[in-house]
Amino acid sequence: MHEIDIHDLSDDADYAASIQQGSSSMNRSDSSKQSSSGEQEGAEIVYLKDNVAIHPTQYASERISGRLKLIKQGGSLFMTWIPYKGQSSSARLSEKDKSLYTIRAVPFSDVRSIRRHTPTLGWQYVIVVLSSGLAFPPLYFYNGGVREFLATIKQHAYLVRSAEDANVFLVNDFQDPLQRTLSSLELPRAVSVANSPSSAAAPTDGETFDRNSAYLQENARQWQKHNDPARDLSIQVLEKFSLVTRFARETTSQLFREAQGDGFIPNDRRKQDQKTNDYPRIAESNDVQKLPEDVQVPADPLEFDKLSLVWGKPRQPPLGTEEWSTFLDCEGRVTDSEAVRKRIFYGGVEQGLRKEVWRFLLGYHSYDSTYAEREYLVSVRKSEYETIKNQWKSISKEQARRFTKFRERKGLIEKDVVRTDRSISFYDEDDSPNIKCLRDILLTYSFYNFDLGYCQGMSDLLSPILYVMEDESESFWCFVALMERLGPNFNRDQNGMHSQLFALSKLVELLDSPLHNYFKQKDCLNYFFCFRWVLIQFKREFEFEKTMRLWEVLWTHYRSEHLHLYVCVAILKRYRSKIIREEMDFDTLLKFINELSGHIDLDAILRDAEALCICAGENGESCIPPGTPPSLPLDDASMYYQQDDDDVL
Amino acid sequence: MPSRRRTLLKVIILGDSGVGKTSLMNQYVNKKFSNQYKATIGADFLTKEVQFEDRLFTLQIWDTAGQERFQSLGVAFYRGADCCVLVYDVNSMKSFENLNNWREEFLIQASPSDPENFPFVVLGNKVDIDGGNSRVVSEKKARAWCASKGNIPYFETSAKEGTNVEEAFQCIAKNALKSGEEEEIYLPDTLDVGTSSQPRTGGCEC
Repeated sequence: MHEIDIHDLSDDADYAASIQQGSSSMNRSDSSKQSSSGEQEGAEIVYLKDNVAIHPTQYASERISGRLKLIKQGGSLFMTWIPYKGQSSSARLSEKDKSLYTIRAVPFSDVRSIRRHTPTLGWQYVIVVLSSGLAFPPLYFYNGGVREFLATIKQHAYLVRSAEDANVFLVNDFQDPLQRTLSSLELPRAVSVANSPSSAAAPTDGETFDRNSAYLQENARQWQKHNDPARDLSIQVLEKFSLVTRFARETTSQLFREAQGDGFIPNDRRKQDQKTNDYPRIAESNDVQKLPEDVQVPADPLEFDKLSLVWGKPRQPPLGTEEWSTFLDCEGRVTDSEAVRKRIFYGGVEQGLRKEVWRFLLGYHSYDSTYAEREYLVSVRKSEYETIKNQWKSISKEQARRFTKFRERKGLIEKDVVRTDRSISFYDEDDSPNIKCLRDILLTYSFYNFDLGYCQGMSDLLSPILYVMEDESESFWCFVALMERLGPNFNRDQNGMHSQLFALSKLVELLDSPLHNYFKQKDCLNYFFCFRWVLIQFKREFEFEKTMRLWEVLWTHYRSEHLHLYVCVAILKRYRSKIIREEMDFDTLLKFINELSGHIDLDAILRDAEALCICAGENGESCIPPGTPPSLPLDDASMYYQQDDDDVL
Repeated sequence: MPSRRRTLLKVIILGDSGVGKTSLMNQYVNKKFSNQYKATIGADFLTKEVQFEDRLFTLQIWDTAGQERFQSLGVAFYRGADCCVLVYDVNSMKSFENLNNWREEFLIQASPSDPENFPFVVLGNKVDIDGGNSRVVSEKKARAWCASKGNIPYFETSAKEGTNVEEAFQCIAKNALKSGEEEEIYLPDTLDVGTSSQPRTGGCEC
């Protein structure tokens, strides 16, 4: 075996085990777990390599070995990497954790480039970068076979070697020469940093990716501090390694601290606050960042979030009635709400079950309520609804004539309900009772919350709820629960919208600094081009069914209360190269975003959003000001305060 | 020859919710009317090539949300406008009364260099409804208001039936072009439209 550096222990029990494992027949259940077209009929395995591993940490015991395959089906090429089952050498990685790293049938149409790394010492590895800008962790070929891997891809997909870097292979690069240059620039740049003369202190032996990235990450900070133009390059490097998450980052910073003792880094380097600075901050070029003085506490390896190095789990089938019943105790309480929310996060809910489950997700019913309690609540709420509805129902024509605000509010609602989701059969008749129902609920809501009143966009939010609930009072209370969280979107001062768009700009800055810089240069940092996405939770961007799927996923608040912002980032990242390449300005960008409506792949975006959310970790959450919708408002009274001169109410 | 050629003319359509802004824009650009428009959220625009004499221009027509609550967004969308179209519904007095608010809000947010002479065009839409029987704003009243605001050109339109839409936008384009010229200092005789001495009139003779 190769000589391995001190962190890359050669008495690698994991490796030995994997050799054994690889020679024995592979567990069938592994491949049968593949969720997509991977190995269905008509699929041909054109490449298979055992003992291809990923190294989530620097610990040899935590490496995960698996089998890499290229599968051809229906003219498309897919890549899978499935970890071996039953590798018991690692105490800290459960089977569940390992399965998170699984690569299930990624089509090469989603792949942008593959970079081959051939360290002087150590194993060859490749990094696969997706069109979205996300990258899989490095795949180490313990038994060789990188050349064959690339050759096989070349046979079945369009693969060209980058003109700038012989180790970068571009996939599906049909674009014009300019674009080819642009896209190929990105990874080679990363390398040029790693190998640049200024990185003399960099490890030169067969370092693992972790080590390199620790070094680069640290260098990013150094460059920032010294205002070196090269810092942009380092940022790009980190962008490329965007899936190196807290798990890896903490390990790498740990490595760095060890390296510090070796005199790699100037002694006057300020200590860093791990919490806020373990992801590179992108500072203004003249803004020399003062890092807080803080005592460096070595990260506790046991606190590592093992779920971190994920790139979004594959979608599951929606939750059905039978499975739902297993979450309920005999009196109807949801015993493990976290498990339910997680299940829905990954799969959504079947249409027939939505009526029941949405009430929990929206917070109208509490998870620990019993059947009897809920039944009682429904009847109480029904009469409450009727009471509020009567407040406007009882306004006579005469009275209305002297009640301008009421007439205007009613007029506004009536104008909007007749142009809400009319293409859905539920609302398509001209005198549909469902349209009238929308009107009644919205008008009642505008009395229930008279200060907020009615605002355009509310009918979009109510429509799917009524479609699912098929009951006026129940729809009303579910809508009320939703508006508890989204109400600030409609405030007159637009504070809810502004705080979300601000948080979005911070998240893009964190997760894609080149894109952030681009928006800045084009004077687009107000993110108004995402206004519609945020205001009505992507209601106009997806078809009706997909919107409902997205909403129930967002409402789980499983990964974050603000997953919708990560969805925004994911979509922007998916089209980042197009946006930058075509030099879109504010107008063009707004048009482009508006026209994406109906063309966004929800499942793919949800996976990306989850990955980004995990990637960003606490740094992501710290981008989002407290009270940002859909978080519950900090202070109800002030949030709903409306000025009296709001003449549309 | 002009020192600089303008090719893009930016037009903003404003007016109360439901007066037909999106419909007017679609009728003009796509020659289509739908009963199924959705309330505009945020903003959007359509573009159309227009020709004056031998020159081609791109008319960029911005459609914005009509609810007053969204006005704070305007600042991002209104800047650089060459003409502002104010739309009301002839069947709604309130939408007519609000024209003044829309005009003032636009001037505040877009802050054009010469607000006194910034070109507006007013459209009274939905003249087709109920054969005109439900009309509550008379043409006379509308024209009087337009005259009081510096002879704003006025058209009565039906986006549904396409009535007067082409004519109105011809006038809008011409005024946008004129506004652009004043800003960018063309030699005055390169075009026969919009020479600087020509006063704006209550109607539009295009």
